[in-house]
Amino acid sequence: MDLSVITDAGVIGLRVLMPFFAIIIVYQCYAAMRRRRRPEKPLVSLYNPNSGGMIPVVFWENSIGRSKSSDIVINDLSVSRNHCVLLRRKAGWFVSDVGSVTGTYVNGVRIHGRAQVLIDDIITVGSTEYQLKRGDDFNSPLRSSKFFSKVSDKPAIQAWKLMFMITLFHLFMAVEAMFWNEGKNVYSPLILFGALAVVEWGFFSVSYFALRRVNFELEALGLFLTGIGVFMLVRQVERSAYTQLIAAGLGIVLYCVIVKFIEDPDKVQKIRIPMMIVSVVLLASSILLGGVINGAANWVTFGSISFQPSELVKTIFIFVGASPLDKLQTKRNLIEFIIYSAVCVALLALMSDFGTALIFFVTFLLVVFMRSGDIKTILLPVAAVVGAFFSMRFLASIIPAIQNRFNYVLARFGTYRHVWDDPQGGGWQQAQALTYIASGGLFGVGIGNGYFKTIPESESDCVFALISEEMGIILAIVIALAVALLIVYARAITTRSRSTFYSITACCAAGLLLVQLSLNVFGCTDILPFTGVTFPFISAGGSSMISCWGLLAFIKAADERTYSIKR
Amino acid sequence: MKRSLRRSTFILLFTIAFIIGISFFMVELVLNADKWVNPENPPYPANQHIYRENGLAEAGKITDRNGLVLADNDENGRVYNEDETVRRALMHTVGDSSTNISTAVQSKYRADLNGYSLIWGMNIPESMRTSRDIALTVDTETCTAAYNMLKHGFEEPKRGACVIYNYKTGEVICSVSTPEYDPNDPPVITEENQDEYDGVYLDNVLSSTYTPGSVFKIVTAAAALEYIPDIYTRTWTCTGSKDIGGHDINCVNGEVHGTINLKQAMEESCNIVFAELAVELGPEKMTATANKMGINMRFDVDDLQTAKGHYNAEGADDNALAWTGVGQGFGEYEDKVNPMQMAILCGSIANGGTAKSATYIKDGADDLLKNIGIKQVKEYSLVDSDIAQKLKDVMPSYKIAGLDIRAKTGTAEVGNGKGNNAWFVGYALNDDCPLAFACVVEDAGFGNTYARPVVEAALETATNNLRGKM
Repeated sequence: MDLSVITDAGVIGLRVLMPFFAIIIVYQCYAAMRRRRRPEKPLVSLYNPNSGGMIPVVFWENSIGRSKSSDIVINDLSVSRNHCVLLRRKAGWFVSDVGSVTGTYVNGVRIHGRAQVLIDDIITVGSTEYQLKRGDDFNSPLRSSKFFSKVSDKPAIQAWKLMFMITLFHLFMAVEAMFWNEGKNVYSPLILFGALAVVEWGFFSVSYFALRRVNFELEALGLFLTGIGVFMLVRQVERSAYTQLIAAGLGIVLYCVIVKFIEDPDKVQKIRIPMMIVSVVLLASSILLGGVINGAANWVTFGSISFQPSELVKTIFIFVGASPLDKLQTKRNLIEFIIYSAVCVALLALMSDFGTALIFFVTFLLVVFMRSGDIKTILLPVAAVVGAFFSMRFLASIIPAIQNRFNYVLARFGTYRHVWDDPQGGGWQQAQALTYIASGGLFGVGIGNGYFKTIPESESDCVFALISEEMGIILAIVIALAVALLIVYARAITTRSRSTFYSITACCAAGLLLVQLSLNVFGCTDILPFTGVTFPFISAGGSSMISCWGLLAFIKAADERTYSIKR
Repeated sequence: MKRSLRRSTFILLFTIAFIIGISFFMVELVLNADKWVNPENPPYPANQHIYRENGLAEAGKITDRNGLVLADNDENGRVYNEDETVRRALMHTVGDSSTNISTAVQSKYRADLNGYSLIWGMNIPESMRTSRDIALTVDTETCTAAYNMLKHGFEEPKRGACVIYNYKTGEVICSVSTPEYDPNDPPVITEENQDEYDGVYLDNVLSSTYTPGSVFKIVTAAAALEYIPDIYTRTWTCTGSKDIGGHDINCVNGEVHGTINLKQAMEESCNIVFAELAVELGPEKMTATANKMGINMRFDVDDLQTAKGHYNAEGADDNALAWTGVGQGFGEYEDKVNPMQMAILCGSIANGGTAKSATYIKDGADDLLKNIGIKQVKEYSLVDSDIAQKLKDVMPSYKIAGLDIRAKTGTAEVGNGKGNNAWFVGYALNDDCPLAFACVVEDAGFGNTYARPVVEAALETATNNLRGKM
């Protein structure tokens, strides 16, 4: 038996082990998110001196009112349905009246807006009095949510061990890429691996030593996915692997900036309007300055650097719509946000970037629903968009000028579910994607050994097929699920967030990533029409990479441990 | 905050929808992966794992029915049988290293020869590969006998096709198509040599259609036997030419056959008798019989289909109808048949009305056979059994290689200054050699002079080999 047989066996063994290793890493990331949390205990409690009852206050922001969906329900006819909000900030506890009829009193003084309450202060709501007590004064145990059923002080896995596993995974990818069939530039993946490891451990060190954060699992997950995306490029266009890595570095910087920037949810409210203007200007600039790439005019070029403003606007879009609980209940008017969203979606539609327009629209629906909880506020915009589509179709039939643009959109839908009727024309990309997904089998043909990489857009719009072919369908699905499950996490920390501002932004950011993921994965596999959007963290594209890290920051910020626990 | 939690359930639905979508895709993948890997509609080289330059590097060995190696790999890549005649005779069946001959085994089963599995994709580890060898049903010596006759038996090399198949099992014993080239040395087709190589990538056995001429009289006779009760007692008087529907119908070379019955008309191939029969039967009955006998049908051959013949006399006037009845229909009523189709039709007459679908694949690993769908043998019922028996009685008898043969010659005029297409189609009645055959020689002459010798040479060898080895 000669040496080549042994190396062959080794490479194949590696290929088979990789998907299972990926499953372990993703599992460990999510397991770590569940652990090292405070146990389910009230933060403070409200003592009713008349009845002698004690109410636990478990959230950072608590709505108080007669409505059954309030966090603290008071069955008293003199209390409004949404009466006031009891909230915790860095400076202590505050109570904020949200337009009650009978008013809210602290130690007998009627309050307007927010007023601080101290331990043993009396809060009067309608005809009911409460005295603020410490959380420890409440003795009965509380039931914890399923996601946090096994909270413990010990982490599921030490952050550095998790990082070590991820680095090892990327090293395996580099080794696999070294043994590609073409046999040229054998060692170049190792150099890339070195650069990647510097970024990964650099970020870890900053978070661990400089920012003194205890948790790193969310960032680890982001790095894990980023690294996979980078290594998919090393045997395709090696140069863009480095571009991708630099973009990831910028994304990480943006991530840290956003996490710091939104530390105080009340201050963020003040810059909402300027940010709205900035984002509209950014979008408008790409119409005026933009070049047309792949039929969508969403690129702005400065010298040799080109970027997509729409990607950056995604991060602004998320937080503009969110606000803390007391603001949410006093200012229920959404008109400002609706107009802003309509402008954004319209600008994107003008650029013919219908994939991104769709992402914005669905995110808009998420934000609106998270704010209002009203199904009517969702049906209305959906009806409006459907109406707009049909009126466009009508206009296109009578005005030749917009006919071409409209036909371009329809052409993409024409081959939907019929890619095999025209595998060399309209259905080409998807037909090729399916061919090569099937060619990859469960474990893939090895990094660099695929042929899908020769297809245009294979590294961005159809990256799911690229990964499936070279690393196997199992791994492709594992990383897709790793992104999709961010929603489960964002939802689980909803009631553990420091403000509804965070829970709304986190859920909507995770929702946006999932919508984008779905359009990418299902677009290239012909489950949905092909819209040409990127796979979060994986697809080649600097702007997209930066915006994904920006969105991840919102999920990180929603985790109360981010700001409140230091190492 | 409770409200936020409740509302966020809406977003959770997106995750559930995503997981449902992924599951749906997995089901699609498992069901369709083998089709996606090598899409066939339309057949085009989509998958570079298969169609890259060195796409047969992993392919198995191809043998004939006796284990003679027709194609295999050595350290220099794909190699074909060392005998050039063998390579050329089987070139359309085996294929070359390109995929130009789309109906050849090496083209249509390239993915399967390379080995594909749902688990490993196109990348099955060497040690886990099952055999990708494939044994064909063809008998090399029979093919070369037919090939030599087509190529060297006449004053010049002839274009044409010859197919012999076993109507009891469906196995194709001989399949030869000319023009051809040596797969070891594929020609670069340029403006100078394009006439010589015109249609060289086409397997005439499967993919070409020809004017049938007198071999179509089998169909007309079948219709007459079915619809005209006193057909056996009738006689016709042939004077070499007769006005039907305003124009003359002639017998070949103005031959005069005198007073003859149906069997004699079949033997003499008298145009006048069959022209009159066609007119008497009328367009509907003629077309119905042609449809039943599969003239307008594609026949499944493994996972390919033959070219479709053509017969439609609906709306034809008497003269046009008369010409369709002798296999010389023109214009919109033209008659066309495919050699494989004729062999299957003859096979079904011999076999009491039903014939097995033809196959080129004799044996291979189970996975390979499953992938290429070899186990789905079809039966075609083309003739009622009593009509089949009656046809056996009226079709001319021959004795070739000791076999009891019923066959029909044909001499089809094609015009355009080209010589006639010579045809010879038929079947052996012997139980130990249940063979049906069809042979067409282009730009030749009488079927008896050109097509029959090709079949005789092939049947001679086939009978020897089958009897010797069965």
